[in-house]
Amino acid sequence: MPKPRIGIYGLTSCAGDQLTILNCEDEILEIASRVDIKSFCLAQTGNEETKLDIALVEGTVSTQKDLERLREIRGRASILVAMGTCACWGGMYTMRNDISRTELLKGVYGENGDKYFDSLPAQPLKNFVKVDLPITGCPIEKKWFLRIFKAFLHGDIIEVPNFSLCSECKLKENECLLVNRGIFCLGPITLAGCKARCPSHNIPCIGCHGPVDEANYAAEVNILLDKEYTLEEIKRKMGFFVFNPDIKQRQ
Amino acid sequence: MKFLKLPANNLPEFILNLRKIGEVHIPIKKGEKSFVFRKMNKPQDISLMQLDYSRTILPLKKYFYHPTETMFEFSRDGFVQPEKPPEVHDIIFGVHACDIHGVLTLDLVFSGKYRDEYYFQRRKNISLIGLSCMPDEFCFCNSMATDYVDTGFDLFFSEIPEAYLVRVGTSKGDDMLNLSRELFEEITHKDINAHKDYSITRKKAFKRSLDIRNLPEIMDLEYESNLWDELGKRCTSCGTCSMVCPTCYCYRIFDDISLDMESGRRRRQWDCCLFRDHAMVAGRHNFRQSRADRFKHRWLHKQQSFAGVFGRPSCVGCGRCIEDCPAKIDIITESNKIQGE
Ligand code: SF4
Ligand code: SF4
Ligand code: SF4
Ligand code: SF4
Repeated sequence: MPKPRIGIYGLTSCAGDQLTILNCEDEILEIASRVDIKSFCLAQTGNEETKLDIALVEGTVSTQKDLERLREIRGRASILVAMGTCACWGGMYTMRNDISRTELLKGVYGENGDKYFDSLPAQPLKNFVKVDLPITGCPIEKKWFLRIFKAFLHGDIIEVPNFSLCSECKLKENECLLVNRGIFCLGPITLAGCKARCPSHNIPCIGCHGPVDEANYAAEVNILLDKEYTLEEIKRKMGFFVFNPDIKQRQ
Repeated sequence: MKFLKLPANNLPEFILNLRKIGEVHIPIKKGEKSFVFRKMNKPQDISLMQLDYSRTILPLKKYFYHPTETMFEFSRDGFVQPEKPPEVHDIIFGVHACDIHGVLTLDLVFSGKYRDEYYFQRRKNISLIGLSCMPDEFCFCNSMATDYVDTGFDLFFSEIPEAYLVRVGTSKGDDMLNLSRELFEEITHKDINAHKDYSITRKKAFKRSLDIRNLPEIMDLEYESNLWDELGKRCTSCGTCSMVCPTCYCYRIFDDISLDMESGRRRRQWDCCLFRDHAMVAGRHNFRQSRADRFKHRWLHKQQSFAGVFGRPSCVGCGRCIEDCPAKIDIITESNKIQGE
């Protein structure tokens, strides 16, 4: 069987997910030997933009150029993986989508700012193309990247955690920040996978792993209102990663 | 059964002596107001012990039914059990009656038609030393008839003024006691009266109550009640209630393939029927599609369907799910509601 042809790309993003792949130090050589990496700008030269079995795409669509690139990649990839919370959900880039691009560009780059860039309201990949598989995380978790990658190579059903962070947090026997201390924690609506990294260090979850399937936003809002957080604060903090009004549930 | 008295001052020495025959685990504080069972790594750890703890974050199941474990390793040549760690005798000191009932319930479940050796291989090495307790605002073990134990413990310590009345449950317990026989005294009639007084005070201290006698029947009759939808809207499916429940036992199984594509590990991990995928089968058909359905399932399993199979509810009234639910969903309030009270 020929080795699967892979391309790894970043749209508007911080390259954190691509770096996570490079950070798989113990596994990277084995990975490289099992696939044919056609394109991975962050790691190699001589990239070849050709037909792909899998394209892993990081980041959000935030410019017209991003959109063209995404469509072009989708056109030659059998499987498209949205890699990272931004690619899956829009992530932090969508935080200011309530303000017009013109206003934002002028605010940042001056009076003529809107003339220099082709900025679009930031959006996740699935708003434009078919995404076959999301791998969330900001950045993605090495463990889950490898688990998914191996399952794919092996031809298995790809299983990712599909439950909220609180369960992982409980398994660590953390005292609940939300319940026992009234601290603003988004664990109940955030997808597990990070092993409750933040709550285990007494830092509440801000939802960087993206929302869990069928997240019950209304219930979380009520829980927080009950703890006397204002709706404004709730919206602002939820908007950081997890919640934005145009979120559609994962397919 | 045999009873002896241990003066409270002798308790630390008794516990330290137990370390001669096994690893001792005690309740200690975690965070600002929570507790966990933790292994004593050194004798000084005894100063961390919290004798009046309310309940631990995770129940005892964490010891013999690990949150995640490897069932076997496989390769093209077949499969092998993972190498077993050396067997240690774990002695858990300070277990409340409801949690002992929780363990007995799990024993029942895992010893059914398909005996779970993963569970029993650890369970058989664990000794439980019970400890009496006063209920707080979440406890309702008296309603669940799990506020006393007659089996499931090796020793049981009941508080009396400045001492403990110690009940011996097994020969293993007797051996533990004999390690420190000189620390114990014979009981007197005064001690018996003190013990009875404690029991009466404790009975009066329960603030919550639930009538379970007709609960399974009413739950069955109210299968189509709107209450389930209301609760489904409030619940976040966070899974906390099952993780912390002493008698929730569901797990999911998955394979972790190695990069060589020829070997791997079959693993299992605690699961919860409130998770969307719990009842999902091939073709993505889901037997419990809505959160309300899943919520109903959990409650029915605890209070109704388990009783149908085992003759009593699986809930032992420990109060963990009430205390820990972020949505403040309270099994007593809602059950009372469904009973029309
Ligand atoms: S601390 Fe946060 S993540 Fe952990 S159980 Fe509480 S709400 Fe959930
Ligand atoms: S259902 Fe709740 S109260 Fe009952 S045993 Fe489980 S955690 Fe404890
Ligand atoms: S209540 Fe749910 S998670 Fe708990 S044992 Fe029953 S089916 Fe399993
Ligand atoms: S702890 Fe509460 S919110 Fe979380 S799953 Fe259980 S009932 Fe729902």
